[in-house]
Amino acid sequence: MTHARVQRQLSALLDNELTADEAQELRAHLETCARCREELERLQGLKRLLGAVQDRTPPAQLWDDLWRRVDAPAPGTVAGLLETIRAAFRRPALATAAAAVVLMLVAFPLVRGRIDRLRAAEIGPDLFVREHALAAATDPFADRAYLGLLVSDVNLVLIGERRERGEELR
Amino acid sequence: MTARALVIAVCAAVLVAATPVRGQDQPVFLASADAATVIRALLTAPTLVDYEGTKILTALRGQRAETVTILESYKRSGKLRLEFLSPESASGRLIVDDGASSWHYEPSRHIVMRGPSFVTAQPAVDPAAILSRYDAMVLGNEQVIGRQTVVLSLQPRGGGLVKRLWVDQATGVVLRTEERDPSGELLFSSLFSRISYSLNLPSALFRFHLPAGARIFSFYVSGDPITDPQELSRQAKFALRAPIVLAGLRFRSGTVARHGALTAVTAQYTDGVGVVSVFQTPASRMAMPEVGATVALRGMQGRWLDLGYFRILMWQSGGVSFAAIGTLPLHTLVTIAEELNAAAR
Repeated sequence: MTHARVQRQLSALLDNELTADEAQELRAHLETCARCREELERLQGLKRLLGAVQDRTPPAQLWDDLWRRVDAPAPGTVAGLLETIRAAFRRPALATAAAAVVLMLVAFPLVRGRIDRLRAAEIGPDLFVREHALAAATDPFADRAYLGLLVSDVNLVLIGERRERGEELR
Repeated sequence: MTARALVIAVCAAVLVAATPVRGQDQPVFLASADAATVIRALLTAPTLVDYEGTKILTALRGQRAETVTILESYKRSGKLRLEFLSPESASGRLIVDDGASSWHYEPSRHIVMRGPSFVTAQPAVDPAAILSRYDAMVLGNEQVIGRQTVVLSLQPRGGGLVKRLWVDQATGVVLRTEERDPSGELLFSSLFSRISYSLNLPSALFRFHLPAGARIFSFYVSGDPITDPQELSRQAKFALRAPIVLAGLRFRSGTVARHGALTAVTAQYTDGVGVVSVFQTPASRMAMPEVGATVALRGMQGRWLDLGYFRILMWQSGGVSFAAIGTLPLHTLVTIAEELNAAAR
């Protein structure tokens, strides 16, 4: 019988939870082992100490309160979200990161909208020339070769290729 | 075969050989024709004649005149091939229009740009509409590159560019043009320095062959033409101003054009001959372009961009950015702007 096994069974011995054979075997070991006897005495002292502690009666409304909370409806999505946000703000690093994400979500469309508006102004006249040149093909006096030149020049600008002949719309 | 039949056959062959080439149509001789006949001949020429030649274009762009030399091949009805010889920046550029799509190859970038056709074989223009819009006059006969031409002058009654056309008497093809502003300044000219007529140019000449490894950009930026202004307004999704009549011009059709960040609704107006395009887009989506010169409109400022051949007037009103573009003089474009602004009020 090992000390480790004996020490696991000491508490069960005090509570009379061992079989007769196990109890006899354990007592035989205790007669020869001072270390385990010392451990048994320590456990007996602890048990006496716990036995001296008086039970306290719970408040009368405890069960009522518990059942009321169990029966209460689950919090709504918004309330849950607010609670999650409140929980997040209890951690400063998380709160800072969340604020940065919110700021980006709000700012990105605004910045992008502004860039798109300026870009539209930049390419607008070129697109207008192109579309009008195509529409002017029905004019019997329009020169087809010149319309073709205009359209291809403007297409080059619209795909981001620079003009080389100093033909920027100024 | 009898001797009489043989003589008839020989005479017929001689007659055919002597006939100037004009497609499969009967030849026209415009030496003593009036303006209406000359106009009819030049309107029908693109449906009857194939040709290839060298053309020299000169256009005023801002303060600078640009000269471009092009090998131009045309096949009836509505197929065009343009090979640019000069200036150096455009040299080698190839445009092939098969009547349905146009292909532009730019050798310096090794890119191909594909878009809608810009060739109309038979413009739906009534000669009577031209005569009602222009003071047309035959000025006389002149030779251009050894061919007899009739010189036609067209002066727009409502103001605009004055055109002079040298029309080949035998074919109706315009061999030379000049367009001047009302002050007489030459804005655009074209001249064939060589031309060969053909009964049938090979179709293969008007098929585009994609160069190996070239990048392709598609430029079908416009939707289908919409002929109903109300339907155009519905598709615009903002308060579009598209009256039926604008500065005496009639609504022809409109489209929604999209390219990158810009979506613009186009309404085209015509006097039966020329076209004016009016572009509209919400001002919240397009800032005022910083190009051209400032021009005062009634109660607001606009921008005026003179590209020589085309002129653009841009302004903002009622939360909408506008641009009107055409070959019309500034005062007509200003009238368009004021009528559109008044429509909003």
